[in-house]
Amino acid sequence: MLPRTSPANSPETVVTTPASATIVQATELSRRFGEGDAGVDALRGVTVDFPSGRFAAIMGPSGSGKSTLMHILAGLDRPSSGSVTLDGVELSSLEDAALTKLRRDRVGFIFQTFNLLPVLSAEENILLPLSIAGRRPDSEWLARLIDAVGIRDRLSHRPAELSGGQRQRVAIARALASRPAAVFADEPTGNLDSKSSGDVLALLRHAVDEFEQTVVMVTHDAHAASFADRLLLLADGRIVHDGGAVSMEQALDLMKAAA
Amino acid sequence: MGKLILRGFAERKVRALLTGIAIALGVALMAGTYILTDTINHAFAEVFGNAYRNKAVVISEKETLGRGDGPEISILDEATVDHVRAVPGVAAASGSVQTRAALLSGSGKRLTSGGGAGLVDGVQPARFESFTAAKGHLPDAPGEVAIDQATAQRQHLKLGQRILIAGRSPARRYTISGIAKFAGAESFGGGSVALLTLAEAQYVSGEPGRYDGINVAASPGLSPSALASRIRAVLPSTLVVRTGAQEAANQTAELEEELGFLRTFLLIFAYVALVVGAFIVFNTFSITVAQRTRELGLLRTLGASRGQIMRSVVAEGLLLGVLGAVAGLFIGIGLAPALDGLFKAFGADLPDNGTVLQARTVIVSLAVGIVVTVLAGFFPALRATRVPPIAAMQEGVPAPPRPLPSRGRLIARFLGLLIVALAISAVTKSKVVLPILLILWAIRGAMLLSRARRAGQPRRCRMIPALGRGLGLIVSWRGVIGRLARENSIRQPGRTLLTALALTVGLGLVAFISVLASGAKTTIESAVARSFAGSLIVDSAQHGEGGIPAAVAPAVRSVHGVGAVTAVAFTKGTVRDLSKHGAPVIEEKSAITAVEPESFTKMYEIKWEQGSSATLRSLGERGTVISKKLASAHGLHVGDRLSVLTPSGRVVTLTVRGILEEEVLGLLRSLTISRSLAYSAFGQRQDGAAFVAYASGANGGRVEKGIDELLRREFPQTHSQTPAQFTKEESSRVNQFLLLVYVLLALSVIVSLFGIVNTLILSIYERTQELGMMRAIGASRRQIRQLIRYESLITGLIGGVLGLVIGLVGAVLVTELALSSSGYELSIPAGTLILLLAVAAAAGLLAAQIPASRAAKLNVLDALAG
Repeated sequence: MLPRTSPANSPETVVTTPASATIVQATELSRRFGEGDAGVDALRGVTVDFPSGRFAAIMGPSGSGKSTLMHILAGLDRPSSGSVTLDGVELSSLEDAALTKLRRDRVGFIFQTFNLLPVLSAEENILLPLSIAGRRPDSEWLARLIDAVGIRDRLSHRPAELSGGQRQRVAIARALASRPAAVFADEPTGNLDSKSSGDVLALLRHAVDEFEQTVVMVTHDAHAASFADRLLLLADGRIVHDGGAVSMEQALDLMKAAA
Repeated sequence: MGKLILRGFAERKVRALLTGIAIALGVALMAGTYILTDTINHAFAEVFGNAYRNKAVVISEKETLGRGDGPEISILDEATVDHVRAVPGVAAASGSVQTRAALLSGSGKRLTSGGGAGLVDGVQPARFESFTAAKGHLPDAPGEVAIDQATAQRQHLKLGQRILIAGRSPARRYTISGIAKFAGAESFGGGSVALLTLAEAQYVSGEPGRYDGINVAASPGLSPSALASRIRAVLPSTLVVRTGAQEAANQTAELEEELGFLRTFLLIFAYVALVVGAFIVFNTFSITVAQRTRELGLLRTLGASRGQIMRSVVAEGLLLGVLGAVAGLFIGIGLAPALDGLFKAFGADLPDNGTVLQARTVIVSLAVGIVVTVLAGFFPALRATRVPPIAAMQEGVPAPPRPLPSRGRLIARFLGLLIVALAISAVTKSKVVLPILLILWAIRGAMLLSRARRAGQPRRCRMIPALGRGLGLIVSWRGVIGRLARENSIRQPGRTLLTALALTVGLGLVAFISVLASGAKTTIESAVARSFAGSLIVDSAQHGEGGIPAAVAPAVRSVHGVGAVTAVAFTKGTVRDLSKHGAPVIEEKSAITAVEPESFTKMYEIKWEQGSSATLRSLGERGTVISKKLASAHGLHVGDRLSVLTPSGRVVTLTVRGILEEEVLGLLRSLTISRSLAYSAFGQRQDGAAFVAYASGANGGRVEKGIDELLRREFPQTHSQTPAQFTKEESSRVNQFLLLVYVLLALSVIVSLFGIVNTLILSIYERTQELGMMRAIGASRRQIRQLIRYESLITGLIGGVLGLVIGLVGAVLVTELALSSSGYELSIPAGTLILLLAVAAAAGLLAAQIPASRAAKLNVLDALAG
């Protein structure tokens, strides 16, 4: 059911995918934490676009600014300078309420620690963003989604009764439930064993290929990066590499060079 | 370790603050109560000291039945005074009169504040008089009155104005000739005093020519106590001779005894608040220990002993207790005047000059506050010692359940408790201690057994999840937020239960008392309807002013259209059973009702256990009917002979003629005797009430008007009421008491609010990451606020429902088991109980305000990072 093709083995994917509209655009992003001498520059002038329907991986050593970049792109944090446009909306002009609404309706999140609500069933967790928005789920879309993540027989279970891989698949379904403009994944395989990691990454790949979703993933797992169409490498708050799909070995080499 | 405790305390500032306040409020009520009663006491001691300073010796009638229960009539007259004057060493002697009376303005409005009775004092010769004229002069003519300055100021009374004084004789008008000061102060301990000439004061007291006491001055060089013994030698033993200082001390002691009731009453509410505070301490410490599992495990790994862990947690409790109790003491100093104000609002005017802070107040308040806090923190501390070192390495290792005690230890503990219980029963001579202990032990045994069956696993709490889910339905219309609130509120059932229970204590008591009070109102209503066959009830217009003059009944009888009037009087006596060997005292200060048998049977339906209306009619001077309670308690039968020591010191022998069934109105008390006997042998000089029946064919409205006119003119301190009005007034009296109790219980509810706030803040702290995720995926601040509010609402409602159920069940049990035998009816005040649930819901919402806005303000990224 799930396409288990490794994109690293087919570098032509980038070429064959039709060029599409930019869904997230960042211009000259800078982010400084703290004041004065004690201040730390997490980002120093990052400009990058993410086209629709692609799977991008952001890598970099600890403290390179990759998480900060993702937080700003997703509207969780604000840049010290520069601007972000998500699905045609300029984020810096938005108040907290509007930003919240934007995250609710147009952004999906996948976390390293899954972050499911323990008191809700798997199905209720998946529907949570829609419930919060007070929107009715599109039942056809939902059925496809549940089949794709393969947890139909687990829908009424609570997170405590699911394995780590199953929890993350529930979390992916939750991120996709509202058909967001972009899905941001923060180390989605960080807490998983290699088998579950493979399942989760294949699922993200599937979301891009079959559901035409846009995924931006922060990771420091080279294997995870090898599932993406594009690899961005950050070091010291700057983009030091921006290229097409790579194999796991290529990713490791690039990382070594950047460190 | 000490440093760690202080650091930890500083780290958990908010919870320490909230928990500290919870303890402080209970301590504050306790300290405030002591301060208030001590202050009142002190004020009165000063008043009495001043009143008797210029009197070497004071003579009064013996209170045969003990403090406060002397005869109403007086045996002191001018002949007694002459007798005293003849004693060598007496420089001067003068009869004195002091009596309670209604003081009214010319238009009939009461001059006393809060509706208390006024005092009428006969003017003494200058050397004995403690009052001095601030304006005008003290009365020296029959039509003159002097009024105390405080009352004059409050009521804007001026010289030359006329006021009305109604005591035990028909009311008279007096012209204000002076404004008086008492020993330099504006008032006589807060009460209103009218000074009349001695003869007029005697008229008001209803006993012309009689005195209530005699003041004596000593010749120079003679000590008061020497003079007192000389006088004592020549007077009959029915009179008491005291020095002025002794009399002041005696009166102060008497007042202190009365204040003791007030103190106990208020302290009950302080203890309730402290119990609630203890719940909160227990809960907070339990949560803290759970949250610190890792830290405690780390300490154990680093070599800390169980004892050290125990001491560190207990020390935190001690520190909290000290801070809470000290804060409470200071709040209490501020609270005392507020309590005084509360009683003023409810009609009890108590004098208060300054603030009396006794060492006892400080010691008791601090000790109770600290002990309660440390005890409540002790069990969580015990749990902390069971955290295994491995907890440092892993997330979420719970402390293992308490090990089951060995058989040997169980037996040892049981025997120990048995010895303690036997000792308590022996000391208190109480028969209930042992059975209660055995029942508790049986419950404990059953719990241990069921735990043993589950192999030491603690029992899962099922009630709270069920209750939380059920009550959560009311927010389920709010979609996923409501559903989440419902689930979150029962995530930790034990914690929710404890938080809710704090609220339950206060609300449960409110429910309990409101059901009983409602029962009391219904009981009075139906008893009046059932028993009272007359048309009107004449009694004192102001509760607390006492009875009505004996002249009222004959005066009403002469009103046109009145068919019959029967007066009822209340007195007391010490009863001995003459049919038993040695004639033992079977009841001290028995309550006695005196009736006019012939007319009484026509107007009041009596339920007889043994006897009939004919029995009462043939009562005579030497017969009595007794209550079933007295009869069954002491094995009395019809025909038994009783001797009764009366307030005036006489002993009368009565024969039991009949036995009455329990009587809920409390009109017919332990003994019922004839009114003529009460007046002749019991020193009675006033009635409690008079019942009126219209003549057949009379126009009721017109007769009532005639009676009211008479009462307004001659006895303005009394009023007439139809049975319906009487019932209504009794109800409103019950309601007023209820209101006072509610206000005092509100403190416990406020304390429990702090508990809810605390638990919410702690649980938000635990769920920071979860809330961060919700915000990240698009929950608005408003939705987060709602979530917390609904959780709190559900917790509040759980507390409310539990309180309602416990209060209701308790009240029904008490009514059915203890009160129904005396005719008490059960009535459930549905409106009040629904209101109670609304209060519980409001309490939950109110408590959520701060936690909810804290949760909503969480920074999404920080929250996600945990």
